[in-house]
Amino acid sequence: MSGSRELTKSLAGFILTVAVALSFLVGGLSAGMIAREQGPKIQCCEQISVCNDRTKHAKPAPNGAIDLSPALQRWVQSEIETSPVGTAEVATQSLKAVRDDNSQIAAVGQKVTFNRDIAPIVFHYCASCHRPGEAGPFPLLTYDEVKKHGRQIEAVTQTRFMPPWLPEPQTLKFADERRLSVEQIALIQKWVDQGMLQGGAADLPPQPQFVKGWQLGKPDLIVKAAKPFQLPASGIDTYWNFILPIPINESRWVKAVEIRPGDKRLVHHANILVDRLQLSRKIETEPGAGFGGMEIRIESELFDPDSHFLFWKPGTVPYVEPDGMALRLDKGTDLVLNTHLQPSGKAELIEPSVGIYFTDKPATEHPMLLQLECDSQLDIPPGDSNFVVHDEFTLPLDADLLAIYPHAHYLGKELEAIATLPDGTRETLIDIKHWDLNWQAVYRYEQPVPLPKGTTISMRYVYDNSDRNVANPNHPPKRVKGGNRSSDEMAHLWLQVLPKNLPDSNRDPRMVLQEALARHHVERDPSDFESHYNLGAMLQAAGDVEGAEAQYQAALQLRPGDAVVNNALGAALLASGDSEEAVAHLSASLKARPDYFDAHYNLGSAMASQGNFSGAAEQFRDAVRLNPQDADAEANLGSALAQMGELKEAKSHFERALQLKPGHALAQENLQLVEHMLAGRQP
Amino acid sequence: MYRDRQRVSAILVLMLNFALIIVMVGWIGAAGVRANQPPTGVDLAGKPVDPLRADAGKPVVLIFVRTDCPISNRYAPTIQRLSTEYAGRAAFWLVYPDKSESSAAIEQHLHAYGYKLPALHDPQHALVKLGQAQVTPEVAVFDAGGQLAYHGRIDNWYLTFGHARPEPTIHELDDALQAVLKGSKPQVATASGVGCYISDLE
Repeated sequence: MSGSRELTKSLAGFILTVAVALSFLVGGLSAGMIAREQGPKIQCCEQISVCNDRTKHAKPAPNGAIDLSPALQRWVQSEIETSPVGTAEVATQSLKAVRDDNSQIAAVGQKVTFNRDIAPIVFHYCASCHRPGEAGPFPLLTYDEVKKHGRQIEAVTQTRFMPPWLPEPQTLKFADERRLSVEQIALIQKWVDQGMLQGGAADLPPQPQFVKGWQLGKPDLIVKAAKPFQLPASGIDTYWNFILPIPINESRWVKAVEIRPGDKRLVHHANILVDRLQLSRKIETEPGAGFGGMEIRIESELFDPDSHFLFWKPGTVPYVEPDGMALRLDKGTDLVLNTHLQPSGKAELIEPSVGIYFTDKPATEHPMLLQLECDSQLDIPPGDSNFVVHDEFTLPLDADLLAIYPHAHYLGKELEAIATLPDGTRETLIDIKHWDLNWQAVYRYEQPVPLPKGTTISMRYVYDNSDRNVANPNHPPKRVKGGNRSSDEMAHLWLQVLPKNLPDSNRDPRMVLQEALARHHVERDPSDFESHYNLGAMLQAAGDVEGAEAQYQAALQLRPGDAVVNNALGAALLASGDSEEAVAHLSASLKARPDYFDAHYNLGSAMASQGNFSGAAEQFRDAVRLNPQDADAEANLGSALAQMGELKEAKSHFERALQLKPGHALAQENLQLVEHMLAGRQP
Repeated sequence: MYRDRQRVSAILVLMLNFALIIVMVGWIGAAGVRANQPPTGVDLAGKPVDPLRADAGKPVVLIFVRTDCPISNRYAPTIQRLSTEYAGRAAFWLVYPDKSESSAAIEQHLHAYGYKLPALHDPQHALVKLGQAQVTPEVAVFDAGGQLAYHGRIDNWYLTFGHARPEPTIHELDDALQAVLKGSKPQVATASGVGCYISDLE
């Protein structure tokens, strides 16, 4: 019967188109990718020694001698003695520079006063957190409030505990830098030593004005945690994740997200991960309960690296994405708010909320998060105070670097990243000499940093697993390896980059970047399951099915029963015509995860291509049950039923598919065929 | 200060015309009481309290805290636990040296942090001087005879601002209390604390 042949053809053709849908394993942030590149290798340590030459930071000449207190002189001296070549000059130049920039400061012999000298510093650097309702434990908005903590302020600025700002000065400037100059620190000390004078009222600058409530006005959508988290009065730091379902009925573009993490005094930092498939819900003991854990991983089923840092730390002003760089949120997306909480001494309730600001302007540019990492190198012997790891990756295309997020746990000591441009120029991307997990942050560059194709990005992290590291969770120290738990260690460097289109290819530059990064990772670490999988997915997308199958096989060697990889390999085998092997892997996938929509769908397709339509119908029925909104599954179920002669039921599924997706080509075509056949059956 | 003294003298001179003897006796007497009076704090009802005499015969622990000091606040569970452990054997007092803190604010603080021990206000820093406290939180441990046996940090949890061990490894307050309860001297007489400077409150 000609109708039946056509139906089969349509069915099989359709199946193969859909079956190669890509999946991604994404770790850490909203849509991070992992990859590596076969580029020219440069010894990281050589680069590091050069990158300490920070003389570019120097500003114009001084206006005179600077009166440093003995304590500050000691501090500066110790900085000079303990820092690599170049820092001494930076310290001196920094003093000179600030002298230039601060014409108002007390002249020689003049007393330092709050109103003239200290208030501008406190208002600019401290008040955004030290005001009611914010993270600071006490307000610093008036003379009396500052004086009441004067010696404390002197002490915490001298050690640079406050204001919290981990990176050293560098040529590439960060937005919202919150780092006091050496002279500002000296001025505070002098003020305290001289008795904390108030000064003339006319000298006092106006108090900073802050927006109350939501910083960008009332959000278009406010989502709250279903259940607050009860933080105990005491104990070690806690990491808690809240799942925030997004109640939207269609895809929307988001220009800004404001995170209100709950009581800001208790939250050290918070990160949002985009969970497009609501996979994190499976970790909850009951819906809305949330779940513990420092690092979480979310799988993304599509190649969709629409990657934005959604990060909160004390003093954060919500970041508004530029036009054309909005973040897409789909119906059925969850946001997962990952919080780092510190007990305050009394039991507290953490009730976070997130404000979302939509825009009509869709994304035209798609940044990606590149992740360099050295976790597999982390095997830190107890007592080792100088354990070094490094990684480097060469960009396969031009990209703009927008932001950077270095990450280690409690043993991290020094975290440094540099870029070596093709012309040999070296730029420090970030340089943290005294890592402190409590003050981790995403750092955005003041201006996008252009990194041409061939730029090598290097990371070098140093760990201290000795007793001298007070943050060491183990006393006596124990061997610590890489891992996701807070008791494990991490060596991650995330870079938000905007890849530029390739001049000589139509390939999506994100795929090129992702493929290079995944290749880089599997070459460095053949046991990197995730990168084998991601490389396979990229090769499959590029049409290299054989290469993809090899990578999936390598991933399965590492995790034989993995549902996602078995599904991907099954889809790849189906695409290359090996339906028998495809059925075996898709069945293995469903054994591991019986409610896996994609695997049911693909297995249905594989069975249909073998002519097993009743088996196929069964799989499509499961797929429709798991995702009643999927028009393709409905259309394929209809097609399988039609093949079995169940024309009436087939018709209803084609109609349902057309309801879900008006104009669905296969459903429309097959519906006509089925109606024709049904009409032919009429007496 | 100098002007104030002048004013007192002037008043005395004025009063001499009317009741020289009474005023003189009264004045001298008051001075005499002050000289012998032990340093006291003020309870939340405004009544002077001498914590060293309130529980005669027992060791006394003064714990200096502030309502707005994040480090002393984080110590609240430790302080409460130790005061419960030593209940009946040693007298624990919270001492608030910030003169700008009202009784209501202190009461609210006690409630919020679950404190079950008595609190004193020390606006003149009489107890601060007695206990040689520098920062909040610090403690002063007096033996049963009222002698200062230990003063300083509660334990070594904090190394400096922003740098705390996951948990303390040396427990000076606990050690000092065990020593004085045995009638011996603590091995360590003092250890500097990390926290909010009391001198900022002068």
